[in-house]
Amino acid sequence: MGRLAQGDREALAPLMERHSQRIYRIALSYLRKPDDAKDAVQETFVKAFQHAARWDRSAEVGPWLTRIAVNHSIDLYRRGRRRLQSEEPLAEGDHDQRVSTGDPSPERRVIGGQIGDRIGAALRALPEKQRAVFVLRHYEELSLEEIARTLDLSLGTVKSSLHRATQGLRVRLQGLRA
Amino acid sequence: MTLFHERWRRRVSLLAAGVLEGAEREATLHHLDACAGCREEQAAVENVLRLVAADPLHREAPTLPVSALIARVEARLDAGPQAQPAQPALNWRPVLVPLAAAAAVVLGVTATLFRTELPGAGGGPIPPTVAVAPSRFDSEQIEVSDDVLRRLERNLAREQTARYLNEAQDLLVTVAASLPICDRAAHRVDVSDEARRSRELLARRSLVDLGSDDVASVRPVLQDVEQVLREVAALDPCVRPADLTAIQREMEQSRLLMKIDLMTRELLG
Repeated sequence: MGRLAQGDREALAPLMERHSQRIYRIALSYLRKPDDAKDAVQETFVKAFQHAARWDRSAEVGPWLTRIAVNHSIDLYRRGRRRLQSEEPLAEGDHDQRVSTGDPSPERRVIGGQIGDRIGAALRALPEKQRAVFVLRHYEELSLEEIARTLDLSLGTVKSSLHRATQGLRVRLQGLRA
Repeated sequence: MTLFHERWRRRVSLLAAGVLEGAEREATLHHLDACAGCREEQAAVENVLRLVAADPLHREAPTLPVSALIARVEARLDAGPQAQPAQPALNWRPVLVPLAAAAAVVLGVTATLFRTELPGAGGGPIPPTVAVAPSRFDSEQIEVSDDVLRRLERNLAREQTARYLNEAQDLLVTVAASLPICDRAAHRVDVSDEARRSRELLARRSLVDLGSDDVASVRPVLQDVEQVLREVAALDPCVRPADLTAIQREMEQSRLLMKIDLMTRELLG
């Protein structure tokens, strides 16, 4: 990191070799789209290089990079959501077939649905902080202390966020059994 | 569930998440022995966590070639601070220019529709063609067919309905999940914000259902949502958790949140 702070680009390669897979997993868990996750990893290391001088030498690199990745994932997700709202009006045929048929009850369709899709939708509906805390705990298996350090939150806030996220998911996944 | 149990609920949730330790963990386990409601809570939370553990995303091996990543980061740094990862030069994704152009046309037409009163809203006929004049090309006019206009009208109705349902869902999740305390001594929770938002949503309800057949299949869900919103809107600002039980039960029995979720996703394709 010292070399990186002095603008030495060659120092990026070992940093990426060591941390890129973990950052990718976190970004993928948050964004759930491989292309977006790759964008997030790329930007995480670009930002790490650009802001290396600000890095506190007493801090661990891993949590610092994770925080950049989570923040960037949140930005990317917001941009994606805006893009979806503004650029993707529904295709004409789609809706006619799927909404107006009068077939299947929602319950029936859920049973046949994919768990991953439901979980993705439920996670996407959570407030950003809750979602980040939940992902770091249940997809990256970080301890509460690590999450607090990574996201710069108090331990109490992490506990509350985790609890609220779990309750939010519980409500949104009701009717679905593991 | 009383506020006393709201505290245990939080502990049970953290216990199931595997993050409760020491005396707090012991106390929670001890409490669980004597509390059937808390055991139900524990089972429900554990079900959520089992579902999350079964998420296929866990099994997807992260395959991010480091050499390619290094090359891309180098290229991005060379490109300067203005370059963004989603831009075409970096080739992570296909270019979205055609979509953007289509969106520009859609926005232009939509704006015109609003300026000239939304067809269908007042029951009037849809004009055969509408001349849309983008400000950059005052001398040019784009002819829009009846078919395109109808499609835009339909899309607008679906998007408005989906947005409305989304907002209602966010509100109802809060009512169903957890609320801030307004009077600890009297064991009461604060629903003032939820009641206010419910009233706002009810006021906007007439703007959503335009009488169009395109959102007809959503109407039963909208009616259920409206019913629950009325109940929430009628609540006092500071209520006992028990006052919410009937609403929560009604939502659970009708699987309202799940239906909203499904309908919203269908509306948005």
